[in-house]
Amino acid sequence: MIKHHPKLDLIQAYTQGKLPASLSAAISIHASMCPDCQQLIDEQTELHASSVFENGGVNEVIYETETLSKIFAEADLDAMISAITSDDSVSQSQPVADKQVEINGQTYQLPRALANINHSNFSGIGKISRASLDLGEGDLHSHLLHIDAGGSVPSHTHKGFELTLLLDGTFSDESGEYVKGDFIMLDSSHEHTPISEKGCLCMTIADDALHFTQGLSKLLNPIGKMIY
Amino acid sequence: MQVTNSVMAKRDKTPPKGRYQSSMSKDDSKQLTEWLVAVAEKRDKKAFSALFSWFAPKIKNVAYRQFNNEAQALEIVQDTMTNVWRKAHLYHPEKGAATTWIYTVMRNVAFDALRKIQAKKEDLLSDDIWPLVEGEVTETESFSDYLMDKRLLNLVDTLPDNQQQIVRAVYFQDMTQEQLAKLLNIPLGTVKSRLRLALAKLRQQLDDQSQD
Repeated sequence: MIKHHPKLDLIQAYTQGKLPASLSAAISIHASMCPDCQQLIDEQTELHASSVFENGGVNEVIYETETLSKIFAEADLDAMISAITSDDSVSQSQPVADKQVEINGQTYQLPRALANINHSNFSGIGKISRASLDLGEGDLHSHLLHIDAGGSVPSHTHKGFELTLLLDGTFSDESGEYVKGDFIMLDSSHEHTPISEKGCLCMTIADDALHFTQGLSKLLNPIGKMIY
Repeated sequence: MQVTNSVMAKRDKTPPKGRYQSSMSKDDSKQLTEWLVAVAEKRDKKAFSALFSWFAPKIKNVAYRQFNNEAQALEIVQDTMTNVWRKAHLYHPEKGAATTWIYTVMRNVAFDALRKIQAKKEDLLSDDIWPLVEGEVTETESFSDYLMDKRLLNLVDTLPDNQQQIVRAVYFQDMTQEQLAKLLNIPLGTVKSRLRLALAKLRQQLDDQSQD
């Protein structure tokens, strides 16, 4: 059972379109596996929609609704409407092409939210391999991370935050076991050593490189960016 | 353009309130829904004009606050209303208010526009992140007596297409198996066997889930 969910403020920002694409996609994927969160999202969307359209907005300074003629004094309103309605075709929803990834002989189906996001080839060390998602979000780095059966990521903390969304399989750390759909948000106060007994595929989003904390793996810090 | 619809006229007289209260009456909401359905079903241009008049100033306001740019705000209005015109058939009144649906269309347009500016990407991800078509699992009155459980609804989505089609028609749309056989032009026996397979699979998956 999914035990880890996005917090309410994250869900609200998501319904309002205020999160970066990476986090938005992660919440979308989580919600597609978690009916409770999907319901919360539907409710929040409705709430926000009515606050936007039926009034000025909750706790926001009410704006005077400008009249149409004032707004569209220069733009030609009639022309805009007839330009829109002159095209009588309707958008057919395109069936979304299945996107699969194959890692070390194992094939995974990627969720729809990732279907149109390009990713690099998988590369890595030992049982850990990853591919970066090409989202162009500056310091926010998103990856697909694969852990082969029996693999683990050396103990580390995060300087910023690190989100792990389990897409398939299971893994565990000091806090317990995680299953498909779990939305695990960690910050610099957490130190953990994820281990996957049977292998797993995750989506990870971090706003800084990991900081390895133990023994030899400290040597990885300078090259941490390369393996995780 | 002269705005003549009653909703607009009524709202313009309402003095601005200091804080949020749902001031929209049921009649207003019903009117918006009717217009949107008329656009979807009859490609009704008058209804579209009415929707445009009601929503455009509001969308422009929201977009202006987000982008702080007049031209960009007008572009959001134009793109949103274009999508309303072209995608109205994807709106289902039983799933929610017209305002909610048009809000999601606007939110998606603004999201893609912002990404274009900030990440220099024109990948139009919004429809994958917030699918307008499937993915909504809210119950609707028409089948609330049957498959109330959302878990079940989600499982139905995982069935092969031909089985899903049968399950949805029989359980969500109240069609008889005979009607369905005729509609799909397949033997009644095929309908029955697909339904049986589908139900067996659902039962199996429910069992598996409850053991988790």
